[in-house]
This record gives sequence, structure tokens and C-alpha cells, in this order.
Amino acid sequence: MTFQEIILALERFWAERGCLIVQPYNSEVGAGTFNPHTFLRAIGPEPWNVAYVEPSRRPTDGRYGENPNRLQQFHQYQVILKPSPLDIQDLYLESLRALGTDPKRHDIRFIEDDWESPTLGAWGLGWQVWLDGLEISQFTYFQQCGGIDCKPISGELTYGLERIAMYLQDVDDVYALEWAPGIRYGDLYKRAEWEWSTYNFEQADVELQKSLFEEYEKQVAILLGLSDKKGKGGALQFDREPLQRLALPAYDAVIKCSHYFNVLDARGAISVTERQRYIGRVRLIARAVAESWYAQREALGFPLLDTAAAAQ
Amino acid sequence: MSSEFLLEIGTEELPASFVTHALGSMSASAVELVGQARLGTDSLQVHTMGTPRRLALRLRGLATSQPDRDETIMGPPWSAAFETDGTPKKAAAGFAKKHGLAVEDLQKQTTEKGDYVSVRVREAGRPTGTVLAEILPQICQRITFPKSMRWGAGEISFGRPIHWVVSLLDSDVIGFEFAGVQAGRATRGHRFLAPDSFDLVEASSYEDALERAHVLVDLDRRKERMMADLLSSAKALNGVLEPDAFLADECVSLVEEPFTVPGSFDESFLELPDTVVVSVMRDHQRYFAVRASEGGALLPSYLNVVNTAQDPKTIAKGNDRVLRARLADARFFVEEDRKSPLEDRLQKLESVVFQSKLGTMGAKVRRLQANAGALAERAGADPAACVEAARLCKTDLETLIVFEFPELQGEMGRWYALREGIDPAIADAIRDHYRPQGADDVVPGQIVGAVVAVADRIDTLVGCFGIGLVPSGSADPFALRRAALGIIRIALEGPIDVDLQQLVDGAYAAYTGDAQLAPAADVRASLHDFFRGRIRAMLKDEHGGDVVDACLGAWDGTSLRDLRSRIEAVSELGAAPEFEALTVAFKRAFNITKDSERGPFDSALLEAGAESALAERFQTVRDQIRTATGERRYADALKLVAQELGAPIDRFFEEVFVMVDEAGIRENRLRLLGEIADTVNGIAHFHQLGTKLQRSDPSVSA
Repeated sequence: MTFQEIILALERFWAERGCLIVQPYNSEVGAGTFNPHTFLRAIGPEPWNVAYVEPSRRPTDGRYGENPNRLQQFHQYQVILKPSPLDIQDLYLESLRALGTDPKRHDIRFIEDDWESPTLGAWGLGWQVWLDGLEISQFTYFQQCGGIDCKPISGELTYGLERIAMYLQDVDDVYALEWAPGIRYGDLYKRAEWEWSTYNFEQADVELQKSLFEEYEKQVAILLGLSDKKGKGGALQFDREPLQRLALPAYDAVIKCSHYFNVLDARGAISVTERQRYIGRVRLIARAVAESWYAQREALGFPLLDTAAAAQ
Repeated sequence: MSSEFLLEIGTEELPASFVTHALGSMSASAVELVGQARLGTDSLQVHTMGTPRRLALRLRGLATSQPDRDETIMGPPWSAAFETDGTPKKAAAGFAKKHGLAVEDLQKQTTEKGDYVSVRVREAGRPTGTVLAEILPQICQRITFPKSMRWGAGEISFGRPIHWVVSLLDSDVIGFEFAGVQAGRATRGHRFLAPDSFDLVEASSYEDALERAHVLVDLDRRKERMMADLLSSAKALNGVLEPDAFLADECVSLVEEPFTVPGSFDESFLELPDTVVVSVMRDHQRYFAVRASEGGALLPSYLNVVNTAQDPKTIAKGNDRVLRARLADARFFVEEDRKSPLEDRLQKLESVVFQSKLGTMGAKVRRLQANAGALAERAGADPAACVEAARLCKTDLETLIVFEFPELQGEMGRWYALREGIDPAIADAIRDHYRPQGADDVVPGQIVGAVVAVADRIDTLVGCFGIGLVPSGSADPFALRRAALGIIRIALEGPIDVDLQQLVDGAYAAYTGDAQLAPAADVRASLHDFFRGRIRAMLKDEHGGDVVDACLGAWDGTSLRDLRSRIEAVSELGAAPEFEALTVAFKRAFNITKDSERGPFDSALLEAGAESALAERFQTVRDQIRTATGERRYADALKLVAQELGAPIDRFFEEVFVMVDEAGIRENRLRLLGEIADTVNGIAHFHQLGTKLQRSDPSVSA
């Protein structure tokens, strides 16, 4: 199976099981979880089933295109099932069959792996899925998102596409993967890995990233009308009514902040103590967006609840 | 006739650590609730079983029904429950209500202590099944996990989502609902090999039925099978299994039916240090290593415990590939690390925070050098080697391989140092200064490692105490208790003695300019108490808390080995039959003189007989005892005390009354006893020793 066939197989598989097939987010994210189709939709009571590819950036993982397994940008296939159905593991195993892998012929195990995103104020419990010792997916039951307790719970399946492809194509070097007949992964991304590694580790302008972080951070406060003052028990206060807040542009700004933080981290420009502070700042604005999003959906009467009821 | 009951909760894959935790709580609440419900018999057996996908409880020897109940339960005093005119008070109503009865049902029970309210409770025993149906939801609800989660609608919390519940009393379903699941007789086998639901006929066939469905539900049996499999697989590779208890527990909790699939890697990876290869396999992949012989060379093979082994070749191929990539990563790290000497990392340590108020690791390393130098001088070690070892001991923290495998700290520093041609004594010290890591670990065997180990720990202790980071209760984030225990153990078991006072003072002085610590006297005093507490905790089981306290009382807080000599001497003597009487006598001497003035006694004022005999004996041996004490020959000193003073002091207390009215005689007598008590107390504080006679002899404690 070529890389693109794997994607197509997964798209078809999950579409047939009632997922919306949507597109990657058009900003730099570290994982499919950052896409608002996951982060925002996991909040609140509305049902949501969605699947998409997410090119994900991890600046510190760059290896200048020299390491056969590590990339600063890789591809996740992300599935959200909300509420998580009781047969979610079976669905997942069936999806492996759709990729031509018979779980019975292999050793498949669900190994404890709790997930936490300190910047998003999100965490969940679940597993890594091992296929013959290779971690091919992450499986998470979201418990909290943007500091808000999830109810119902979203089940998140994240396939590591490069790893699955290397396994299926039996290659040891990610750049040798066949993306499409005659076109290798290296043809598409090897140069990109070198350029981005060089940028992230050596040439990214530290002062520029720092000031971009600050500016976008300020934007969040402005777009949401987030007050400097906190209420009882540290509750966030907003000067704007929920429907007057621009939660989506604000979330874009949160994503930008998170990305600039990652670049600064890769660039070695952040000390240990500073690191915690940066993370805390992103978490705060992510929470402000999450709360605003929830308040908006509530003000709108959680419209997808009706849609789901009508569908039944 | 007795019954057997089975409860099985089927879940999604529980983490390894959750299963034992959950089974423990399940068993405890079952014992409690079954007992309360009077369902147990003398032959009740509570057994738990579990796999990643199920938690099971089996009760054997259950009564077939509750016994009838007819008992009288005592309540509050009659006067507290009823007015004198017989009007019931609140207490009467409350007591009656508690037992589901009316106030009229209360009876008066006359006892030795007065009149009490009582009730007679009579209840016909109900069938076990009926009672179980009531308590089962509680047993399920009381199962605890290190971490719980919600799923689906998000209403229920458990270790992982629940899929089925089996509840069988002999062959009958005991129905109840838990987490929205109705209990029944349908279970499931192995996720891949027997995925379909099937019915259990009766509780007693549970294990066999599951075994046929590829599930070894009993953890011990599963582990036995796994270990046997691992050992024979290792043998088939012409090697022996590298034992790893942690890994064994982990692996057995990840499978329902264990199989071993061997795999291999390229021999060239064996150029890496063994510890790296073993760590890569264990930490990343949970593989067991195989050696040519016990403690011999690693083989380029591994053993993988898997859950499904229909196609071992495919599984091995996949695992080989993963391991190859992991080992290639490790090799890359080691090669990168070796491009520059350890020494080059010193600069990097300057920007690593040791503790935010205590500065950087770079500063810590400079203090370690100062501490190690001073300690080496006192211990007769080579100061240059110790200082150099202290300088290099943290450099491997800045290597790529230790960043990847933090547990290899020290070990990799040693390996790199040896390859740089650094003196093996120094290289060993880089590894050994982390020892002992815990109660089961050995202390550094060589002097340089011991010096650096002590220097490192005292720096952490003084620094943390200096900024108020003192362990409290179970909170000890900097592992200060372990650090103190490490110093004590190195002094007692290792190659160097430690003078605690000089050590603390030196380490405190080394902080000058690095950090603002609390005043030296405060740090010294709190550490002094802390160490005494640790010493006591460490030695009390072996020697007895009172012996340790008695010796701590006489100890000057400097040499740890001196303290040990005292403890051993007292312990040894304590085993002798005459010790008890001796202790009582010296306790008495101490207690009677503790507030009296000291000074030389006047022989002329002594009474003939027991008093002068004691004084004479004491004068003869006094200097010998003091010399032996001064030379730290405590066993000799105590022997003299016992042999020479034991009988005379006993006789003295039998025949002489100390607190006579005549002041001159009395004071002189107290001076004699005081001097004897002080001399003996120079060895150990006898008055802190416990005796069996203590309680029956009130004059001693008076």
C-alpha cells in the first residue's frame, strides 16, 4: 500500500462508519488534537464524529533529514468519536484489517499511555497500540479539554501514518516510503526536513518568535474581551458576551503561540524556569478560548444536539 | 454444603499496575461485606484473579444461606435513654431506629455497671443469593485504581471501560447491575483467539473454561507459565535469561495467554555497553535479554512475551525492525557523545539548574570538589583523585545517552571515562557515587567513590535544609531521607568513616557565595536531629530503639563508626544475663543523682561496708574505664563496668539508704553515685535503656 492509499483506505473506512471527513488545519500544529475539529468539538455535550489527516510539526524532533525514523513534520490520521462508543476498540482493529493487516497474525497490544497536553490544559487516559512491538497508534479517552471536564467523553484515535506505512511497505527508512507509485517520501520531504531543521535549530529569529508570541497572546485577550481580573476561585472574566467573542480567531492565535513556543524550545532559547512560564501562559489563553467556545455553543442552544436527535 | 461464587468484570485493557491494585481492593471489600452479611463459613476462601481484560473474584466455602439471627444488643445507659418517669429521650428513639424497632421494643438489661437499654434482634436468615445481590454492587463500587477514567456518556468512573459482568453462585446467575451493565453468565475469551461471547455453566468451571478460550486468568499460574517458557526459550538460544523481576511483573500483566517469541539483532550492536542494550530492550520494548551464561556476555538475541503467537516469524520480524531502529538511535547517541570528552560538559552544567534557590549544577560540582577534598584528607584517601572524580561525576548528565536513558547516569559516565583513559579509580567513582540507590543497593566499595558519594549527598542535604526544604510526613521530593541514610550506610558499611559535624560544617561553608542559607547553627541543629532520626530508624529493628537512643545520648555527634561501636558494645552486653540487673542499678544511680551537685567524694565520709566497697572498686577501675571509653573500646569499658561494678553497686543499693537526713553524708553519697553514673554514661545513657524490671520496680522511675 502506498502512503496515499493508506490515507484513502482510512478515509473510506471511517466515512463508512459515519465520520465527517474534514481537512487539516491551515496553521502549524503539533498534533491532530490541536485542530479545532478536535480541541473545540471535544468540549460540551454535542455529539461529533470526524476524521482527518493532520500534518503535525515537532520542531525539536527534526534531524536534518538524516535519521530514518525522526521527522520534524509527520502525518497523523486523527479520528474523534464522541461519545466514545463501547465498540471503539473493535472499530479500530477493523480499520487495521482495512489496511490489510490481520490482527490475528500479529501481536497487537494495548499498552497504557496516558496523554497530557499541558499547553492545552487537556488530558486523557488510554493506550499506545503496539503492532509487533511497533507503536502505530495512540488511543485516548479525553477527560478534560481546555480545563473543562469532558462530558460526554470523546474517544481519540491517532494513527502514526509514517510508521504504519513503513511497516506495511517493509522499509527501514522513512524517506524510502512510496507515497504514490514512483514518488518516494524523500522526494517530497527530505529537503524540507533539512530546511526546517536548519531553521528551527539554527536560524529562527529568537527575538521575532518571542515578540510574535507576545503579540498573539495579546490578541487572544482582545478578541475574547478577556479581563485581567480573575473572579472567585480564579475564574476567568470576560468583558464581552459569549456571542460577541471571536473564539475561532482567538484559537488561531493560541495555536500560533504554541507553535512559536515550540520553535523557541527547539532553538534552545528557553530556560527550564521560563519553559514552565510559557506553558502556563498558553494554557491560560487556551482555557479562555475553551470557555468562550462552550459559552457560545450554549448560547446557541448546542445546535448539534438537535441534529443528532433528528437523525435518530 | 457450601457454595461457590464467581464475579468477573470484563474491561478494556487495564494497565499493568492497575490489576493488582484493583484485585487487592476487591478482595478486601469482599471479605468485609461477606463477613458483615454473615455469609462466611470457617472454610471461606477468597481468591482473586486477573488479566488485562478482566478482574475476577472467587468465593469458596460460602454458606448456602445466612444463619438465623437472634441476639441481644446493648445500647446506652438506661438513664441516658429514659427520664425517671419513663419518658423516652432522644437516645432511646435513636437506638431503636438504628435497629429498625420501636421504642416499645427496648428492654432493660441490668449489669454490674448499672442498667442499660437493650434490644433483641431476631432475623430469619435469607438465602445467600438474595444477600449477594445486595452486596455485589458495593463490592464493585469499592474497587479502586491508581487512576480512574470516564467513557461514553461520561457518567461512570472505573479503571477502563466495562464491557461485561459475570456473577454466578454455583450455577445460578445472581443478577445485579453495575455501571449500566447487567450481570449474567456470558464472558469472553482472548481478544484475538476467542473473541466471541460464551456462557459459563457454573462458577467452579471458570478457570478451565477460560483456559480453553486462551486466557490464563490466575496471575500466578500465568506467570509460572511465562517464566518456564522464557527459561526454555533462553536455553534454546544456548543462553540464560537475564532475570528482571520488574519486567516479569509488567509482561505478565500485559497478556492473557503468554507466549515467548525470540528475536535477534545485529552483533555489531554488542559494541555498545551492555547496560545500554539491556535498557533499550527493557525500557522501550519490554524484551528480556539473554546472556551466554550467568553474568556472561550478552547474546544478540532477545525474548519477547506476546499475547498472540499465531505467526511467530512475522512477529519476530516486526519486533526485530523496531529494535534495530532503537539500537541504531542508541549507537548514534553514544558515537555523538564520544566526539568530545566528558570534561567538555562542565560548561553545560553551568546552565543546568540544580535547585532554583541553590543555583546551578556547575556550582554544585565546585562545592562537591571542595567537600570531596576535605573528606579525602580526613579519610586518608587520595585528595587529587577524589577532587577529580567529584569534578567529573555529573558530566554524563549532559550526554545524549543519559538524556535518553536517565537510569544509566553514572554507569555511562564510567564507560566514557574508561574509554578516555581516565584513571579507573576515578571512572568507577563516577558510577559508584550514586550508590546506594536504595535499601537493597550496595554502598561504594572503593574509597574514591565513597568520598564523592558522601560529598554529593551532604551538599544536597545542607542546601535543602538551608532553604527550608525539609521532608515532612510522606513528602520528601528531594529524597533527603535516602540521602542521609546513604551517608550513614557508607560510613557503617563502606570504606570510610564520616565525621558528621565536620561534614556538615564543611558543606555549609562550601555554599558561601552560591546561595543564601539559613544561619549555620540552625542548619546544623536541624540536620543533627534529622540524622539521629534516620540512624534510629535504620538501627532500631536490629538493636532495639532503646539501645540506639542510649548510645545516641552518649555520642558526640561526630564519628558515625564511633556510634556504631557503642551500639554494638551495648547490644552485645545486653545479651548477657547480668545485664538486666546492671541496667536497673545504673538507671537508679542516674535517676537519684540527676539533679544533685557533682564533685569529688570524700572517702572519710563513707560508711564501712557496701558503700566503701563500691567506692574502692570504682576508684580502682575508674581510670581504666575512662581510658577505654576515650579510646573508643566500648566493649572493654562495658566489660569492666559489668565485672567490677556490677556486684558492688547491687550490694550498695540493697544495703545503703541514700537519702539520709544528714546532709553531709547524703551529699557525699550522691557525689559518689553521680561520678559512677557519669562515667558509665560516657559509654551509653543507661537510663534510656528499657528493662523488663522497670515497670515492677517503682523506685527506679521515681
